[in-house]
Amino acid sequence: MSNEEELARVVFSQGSENALKEEQKEQTYKVSIKKLEAWFGTKQALKDISLDVKENTITAIIGPSGCGKTTLIRCLNRMHEMTPSSRSRGQVIIDGIDIYDRNIDPVIIKRRIGMVFQKPNPFPTMSIYDNVAAGLKLNGVKDRQLIDEIVKESLQGAGIWEEVKNELDKPGMGLSGGQQQRLCIARALAMQPEVLLMDEPTSALDPMASTKIEELVHDLKQELTIIIVTHNMQQAARVSDYTAFMYLGALVEYGPTKKIFENPEKELTERYISGKFG
Amino acid sequence: MTRLLDLGIDRIRNIIMDMARLSEQSVFTSIDSYDKGTNVKKQIFEWSEKLRVLQDETADLAIELIARYQPVATDLRFIRSCMEIAYGFSRFGRYAYDIVEVLETIGYINDCDKTAVLGMASTVREMILLSVEALQLRDKNASAKLYEMDDTVDALYRKYLREVITPQNDQDKKDMNPRCYISALLILRYLERISDHACYISDSIHYIMTGRSSPRR
Repeated sequence: MSNEEELARVVFSQGSENALKEEQKEQTYKVSIKKLEAWFGTKQALKDISLDVKENTITAIIGPSGCGKTTLIRCLNRMHEMTPSSRSRGQVIIDGIDIYDRNIDPVIIKRRIGMVFQKPNPFPTMSIYDNVAAGLKLNGVKDRQLIDEIVKESLQGAGIWEEVKNELDKPGMGLSGGQQQRLCIARALAMQPEVLLMDEPTSALDPMASTKIEELVHDLKQELTIIIVTHNMQQAARVSDYTAFMYLGALVEYGPTKKIFENPEKELTERYISGKFG
Repeated sequence: MTRLLDLGIDRIRNIIMDMARLSEQSVFTSIDSYDKGTNVKKQIFEWSEKLRVLQDETADLAIELIARYQPVATDLRFIRSCMEIAYGFSRFGRYAYDIVEVLETIGYINDCDKTAVLGMASTVREMILLSVEALQLRDKNASAKLYEMDDTVDALYRKYLREVITPQNDQDKKDMNPRCYISALLILRYLERISDHACYISDSIHYIMTGRSSPRR
């Protein structure tokens, strides 16, 4: 079997196989969202969301603009509460610990749960190296050798090491859009998170750069649990093991991606993914 | 607003319905030619070829729609099933041609007893009409009835085969004309295959409507 055939076999079979294996495992979840609600002032953005995410899987969140996808993932690392007049209610349990417990430090949460945003946002005045090392230094890591190792590993993990290893001191902003996004992923990986949240990470990238990010996401699943918000239905179908469809702040349907895209249970899901909305 | 995908789906649906009519006509004409001894080989060959071309056209269009619009859910199931249904109708055409070819190869058979073939042909005709109607109405429940009829067709085929292999008495043996039983056996076999494909078409309709394989398959 050629490499291409082997790759095709793995890629085409993995989603369903993973979903099946996960079904057979004992029902333990990396992330459990229970009756989560969120508001901006008086406007309710999330309505009674309950969702369980299994470890080392990729979950795509899809839905029309304004349905609450971004709000949902911002609640998963307590970023939502940083918006003035916002509030939330319910539980987000990571490895059995409610991140909204009053004894939990939100800073620790943000270390364990990394986030990559829609638009690549490297620190503009910093070099490639410093972009990745910044979080470590802020968290008091001083051992230069250790930082070097983590920077290298993170850039390797984000699939950009070979492209930048000879120019680590150059500004991060000098990279292409796709490289900047992978630099941001490396920055998130440097903190060795267990969960990675990605908010439309390829929407500002060209198809080639998007493909690289998708391949990277697929590889990162071995180490991380990934939740990705995307407007690109085909991307959700390609990369994710599970898909959640949201509408007007509510979770309409959640299940294995194969099922959602081939035979959804809900009429609303069918209409949305088929482009029959409105 | 019409989705661009819908324009393609309408085209593929029209091709499938054209194939349904043409394949129905091909099988019915070939059965009539067996019954009445008419020579329709050229006509059936043309129809069979046209069905094959339409099957290719369906596959090409289906691939194009998948590549350009990445259909999902019911749209995806419909497009996938159209390829299978088109194959089924194309097989109807091919078996119709096989039937008239048997008649040409074997020669004069007007003195043969045609009861067995015409009996099965009547059931198969009904099955073709039922499968096409199920396609038009997207009737997911048609497969139960069709499989029931398929069981009857299979039983008729096996019964005739047994009768040919083991004649009951010397008179039976004497009456057996090879032209008659060979032509009947071959045509019964083709009708039996048409019956199978009518069931597969209803399976595809069941899959389009429910997303699940037919319980019988």
